[in-house]
Amino acid sequence: MSSVPVSAFLALALILFCIGLYGALTKRNTVIVLISIELMLNAVNINLVTFSKYGVNPSITGQVFALFAIAVAAAEAAVGLAILIALYRNRRTVNIDEMNQLKN
Amino acid sequence: MTLTGEFFAFMSLALVAVIGGVLLLNLTKVIHMVVALVFTFVSIAGIYVLLSAEFVAVVQVMIYSGAITIIMLFGIMLTRHHGEEAEPKGGGLRKLLLFLGVLGFGAAVYLGIYDLNFEAVPNTLHENNTEQIGISLYSQYIIPFELTSVILLVALVGAIVLARKDDEKEGDKE
Amino acid sequence: MENAWLIPLFPLVSFLLLLLFGKKLKEASAFVGILATLASLVYSILVLLERLSEPTYKAETVWLTIGDLQLTAGFEVNQLNALMLVIVSLVSFLVHTYSKGYMHGDERIPVFYAYLGLFTFAMLGLVISPNLLQTYIFWELVGVGSFLLIGFYFYKESAKAAAKKAFIMTRIGDVGLLIGMILLFWQTGSFEYDEIFAAVEEGAVSGTMITLTAILIFIGAVGKSGQFPLHTWLPDAMEGPTPVSALIHAATMVAAGVYLVASMFPLFNASETAMLTVAIIGAFTAIFAATIGLVQTDIKRVLAFSTVSQLGYMMLALGSAGYVAGVFHLMTHAFFKALLFLAAGSVIHAVHTQDIEKMGGLWKKLTFTGPLFLIGTLAISGVPLFSGFFSKDEILIAAWAHGNYGLFWLAVIAAFFTAFYMFRLFFMVFSGEARSEMKNVHESPSVMTLPMVVLAVLAVVAGYVNTPWFGSFLGDWLVEGNEALGHGHIAGPGWIMIVATAVSLLGILLAWMMYSKKSISRDWLSSRAPIVYGIVKNKYYIDEIYNQTVVFGAKAISLFLRFIEIFLVEGIVKLTTAAVQALGKTGAKIHSGQVQTYGTIAFVGLAVLMVIFALTGGYL
Repeated sequence: MSSVPVSAFLALALILFCIGLYGALTKRNTVIVLISIELMLNAVNINLVTFSKYGVNPSITGQVFALFAIAVAAAEAAVGLAILIALYRNRRTVNIDEMNQLKN
Repeated sequence: MTLTGEFFAFMSLALVAVIGGVLLLNLTKVIHMVVALVFTFVSIAGIYVLLSAEFVAVVQVMIYSGAITIIMLFGIMLTRHHGEEAEPKGGGLRKLLLFLGVLGFGAAVYLGIYDLNFEAVPNTLHENNTEQIGISLYSQYIIPFELTSVILLVALVGAIVLARKDDEKEGDKE
Repeated sequence: MENAWLIPLFPLVSFLLLLLFGKKLKEASAFVGILATLASLVYSILVLLERLSEPTYKAETVWLTIGDLQLTAGFEVNQLNALMLVIVSLVSFLVHTYSKGYMHGDERIPVFYAYLGLFTFAMLGLVISPNLLQTYIFWELVGVGSFLLIGFYFYKESAKAAAKKAFIMTRIGDVGLLIGMILLFWQTGSFEYDEIFAAVEEGAVSGTMITLTAILIFIGAVGKSGQFPLHTWLPDAMEGPTPVSALIHAATMVAAGVYLVASMFPLFNASETAMLTVAIIGAFTAIFAATIGLVQTDIKRVLAFSTVSQLGYMMLALGSAGYVAGVFHLMTHAFFKALLFLAAGSVIHAVHTQDIEKMGGLWKKLTFTGPLFLIGTLAISGVPLFSGFFSKDEILIAAWAHGNYGLFWLAVIAAFFTAFYMFRLFFMVFSGEARSEMKNVHESPSVMTLPMVVLAVLAVVAGYVNTPWFGSFLGDWLVEGNEALGHGHIAGPGWIMIVATAVSLLGILLAWMMYSKKSISRDWLSSRAPIVYGIVKNKYYIDEIYNQTVVFGAKAISLFLRFIEIFLVEGIVKLTTAAVQALGKTGAKIHSGQVQTYGTIAFVGLAVLMVIFALTGGYL
């Protein structure tokens, strides 16, 4: 059977997810924040695909699910960027530190 | 665990993916970060291949490495940049807190997965992978599939509306 | 009589009016107070007259309902209440009038009259209360009024201290009263006098409990009436304006303790021990205060100690089952002591000092005050034909008839002392050579002398309502329809009256020889027994003893508590505020409006939860 254990794939996904999370919450450039979120979604996709092959009940559904996730992620990236552009036009910055309208 | 080709492939792909992620965190120029992430995306596609998901791998390369990266690059170019990630001011405590939080989260999750091993069940995912996906998508998941098309349409329209210039919008109203 | 509840309301209205409009009325506010008390007085007299022919009237409404229990509020007009109403409103009215002259020129006249109104309201309310609870409420209100009036010259340190002392000392007694009241309520299930007495008569309350409650209530009376050992506040209370001393600390409030014992008389009467306690405390106070009075040099303090002594007499009377004698003396004392205080006030008003060593030869200058003072002095000394003679006689007879022979002789000696120190006071103030510094002495205005004249008349004639010669009208009336109160007149051996007269005349004679004729040296006692003199002069060092023991102990405890307060309580408080403040500041800082910060917080919270789950045995 496979020489690579399931936990290795899952651990890789975990590491990537953590990197994405850390990036999303610390980076000050909004574009990078968006990309970090994409990375987190990718980590989730790895998990889905892994379980589709090595799960208790292997089936193609995991991959289909991953495809849906990719589609939604693409849509999210497009909308996110549109919002970013609109925001930039109003505030002339992509620096997330200066986006504190929630405060007032 | 033997040093098979599969293992070797996984290790190298995983290494590239993680390095890409770390570079994303540590590089200073925004463009470089995006490029570093392309490596990660491509490696993930390789991982998909290892997991007998060829179609998903191809989609990964096309969507992530292609479309999303390009969109992000456009985003970077359309907005003004100093080119470098500015040093955050006084966020040191927050970063530390977050780092500890992420570390704890990772440790807690790892505790749950490190000795996870399911009974290996023989499967046929690698045979006609694309066909299987197609059959599944157009039979079992037809309604979600169609809904996804709606989501993409909405995202398209929404993105255009959002990114359009405000004065034009006001002009429309009048 | 149905509207007797209006009587206390007049002074209350005056109090409220003066509170609201006092600043505008200025000196005219005196008239508000005078009119209000006049209305009370007229009404009180009407009620008394009506009460002479009609039975007791009592009206109550439900005040509070607690479960099955109903607390009532209302008023009662029985003999004692009606009599007290007249005494209080009469003295109050006269004092109000007198103050018009005495306080003339004081800026705070409206405040003064407002306080007087409050006090009069409370006192009148006290005497018509039909139950203990209401009594207690007014009892405390009276205390407040007294506190305010003693501290009227609040810018004087001594006045402030005296006010606090009076309040705290009477409060000690009030605690006793409160406990006694609660015990009684527990035992009988009612605050009503009638129901309590009925329960006591039926034997529903055990003998020990009766004794205990009676003594506790007596402690309240001890505090209010300045009986030993809680008497020390009364002389200090003389820091208040003199009319206040006359009203509160001679005629009314201090008599409230006597009134309380009198109105609870059936309860006391049911316990031999309680009666004996009352009698002993009374007699002891009478002689004790009288000896102190012998050597005091402050005119008001002499009168104050004399008040304490006379209140002791009343207690002795009540404790010797001489209900009538006690109440009778309460009435006569109210008149002649108020007269003495007002006259003393008039003297002080004229010479601007209270030290009798500096006075002298005022007889010719104060042509009104002098004779009036003399009348008061004669009355209190028990000279025949004056009111004090009859009432004191009654007390002595009561003590003798009850079998308290030791106490009887104590009272006789106290009577001798009383006559002596009162005439010592009189001679030192009015006879002898006029001092050089007393040049521009002038008689008080008529607004001050008239009330004194009224009181002087009463001080002479008030005794005739209850005499062994012309019938004991007052006594018979007081005990009418209530056997528990004893007989209207207690027959006693005829020689008692002669002895009483003899000792008072002897006292007067001695005083005359010492201070007027000077055939006996004034230093006769102080030179022969300086230690005794010193002890008496310093009021038996009671104040000092209290300072050394009670006050010192209290201070030590409070110091200790203060340390706890500073380091423990305040520490905790400060820590709490600091913690809250820090939390708030952190919170405010976190709410920077930045999504990433919010995200961090939320995620860290999640991570912490997950780690806790992982450490406590996996995923729940």
